[in-house]
Amino acid sequence: MARALVLSLDGNEFPVQMQKIDREKLYGNVEIEAFDEAGNKAFLQILDVDGKTLIDTGGTSLATLDEDGNSVDRKKLTPITSDGEEVQSVPSSFSAPNILYEATIDEYLSHSVKSVYLLTPPEGSNFDLLEDVLSGDAIYKFDFSYRGGLEYDTAFLAGNEKNIFMIIGVNTNMQFVKLNQSGVLEPVEEQEISGEEIEFDLF
Amino acid sequence: MAINISNAKNRDAIVALEAVRQKRDIRYIDENHNMVLNRRLLKTDVAHDLATLTKKDGDLEKLGKKLVEDDPEIDIEHFGMFLGETSRVYVSENGIVHSVEEFEVIYNPDGSVRERRPRKKEMQNINNDAPLKWTGKFIKKKEAVKKFVFATKKQLIHINGLTYDFLYEMAKELHEKDSLMLLRGGEKGNQPLILHRGGKPYNAFLEGRVDGDAYCLILHLSNMELKKPKKVEED
Repeated sequence: MARALVLSLDGNEFPVQMQKIDREKLYGNVEIEAFDEAGNKAFLQILDVDGKTLIDTGGTSLATLDEDGNSVDRKKLTPITSDGEEVQSVPSSFSAPNILYEATIDEYLSHSVKSVYLLTPPEGSNFDLLEDVLSGDAIYKFDFSYRGGLEYDTAFLAGNEKNIFMIIGVNTNMQFVKLNQSGVLEPVEEQEISGEEIEFDLF
Repeated sequence: MAINISNAKNRDAIVALEAVRQKRDIRYIDENHNMVLNRRLLKTDVAHDLATLTKKDGDLEKLGKKLVEDDPEIDIEHFGMFLGETSRVYVSENGIVHSVEEFEVIYNPDGSVRERRPRKKEMQNINNDAPLKWTGKFIKKKEAVKKFVFATKKQLIHINGLTYDFLYEMAKELHEKDSLMLLRGGEKGNQPLILHRGGKPYNAFLEGRVDGDAYCLILHLSNMELKKPKKVEED
């Protein structure tokens, strides 16, 4: 059985199992099939700028380079913020109980959702108290990191119809704007086109 | 990008729709406190992969012997080079495909095929002659957050004084109602929003916040409900 996440509310601890929910599980999914003019199956590959080098999945890798262009061992790098402060790593949320704090709706809506989990009690236990608390309008939150790493995401707990969901989100950069903080519409770029680019089979 | 939107009085305007950046900014420095950067390298190409080499040599055993004696899987001139701008192309057994025919295969949650149909790339509908419709269909924020998953957000921003008043009033109305409003596209104002040609359709909800003379008008995009999948219920 997978390791349980432990949530703590008002001194009560609730071990929970997490099950990821996505569109595929709810609605199914769409796959694209492609064929050439002769009816043979076609697959997506990457074409390099030279126009002839074709690269399949797994054919590229990411290298980290210093200012002289030399390859650098990532284990020897130090993560910093934009202010130059060293980033301290955070532990996994599975390593200790996570205290729940009440969140506001606006705070939740300021986050972009990364993933959604359905929470269930481990076999032989229940979390009726947690279900009662979340059955109303309240939303709770805690700092979440699945494996530990450089920073936390925010996990929000919301309940509906006796189900408890954990929604993992990242805080966004939404700002209030005043009159003198207008946006800019991207100009339409003029470009020359060839006659072949215009479709006539629409008619 | 631009978005053409109408208000409750059926007045419309084109305003800016901006991406909302996540509040993360972590960089890496080396032991000398200098910034490092990431570059993509070519590891191997299709001309040197297992399928191509096996085809050249006839069978795996011959290829195996060749791999021991030589390095046919490595192009010493090109492997390890930095990759610049690349493009994605369709390739079949006849090479690069210039006229591709695409089909969509729609699967049910249980993996069975529901439908197979020619792929149709819908056009974007957020900046057309028909502005996005102010539907007047509101849902309280506290109800919406328990029903929908808002995967993506965009922010609407004015481009001049007139559109500042236009958007500020929208944000104020939504703020006072403490609600999200469903936004629809298309000629009849009943279509989900499509931001780019061939992009996914989203249900869009508008949220407004005001703080003095400043406003924040957010477009929440959702393509998923907050609910338990049927399979989990059956299990």
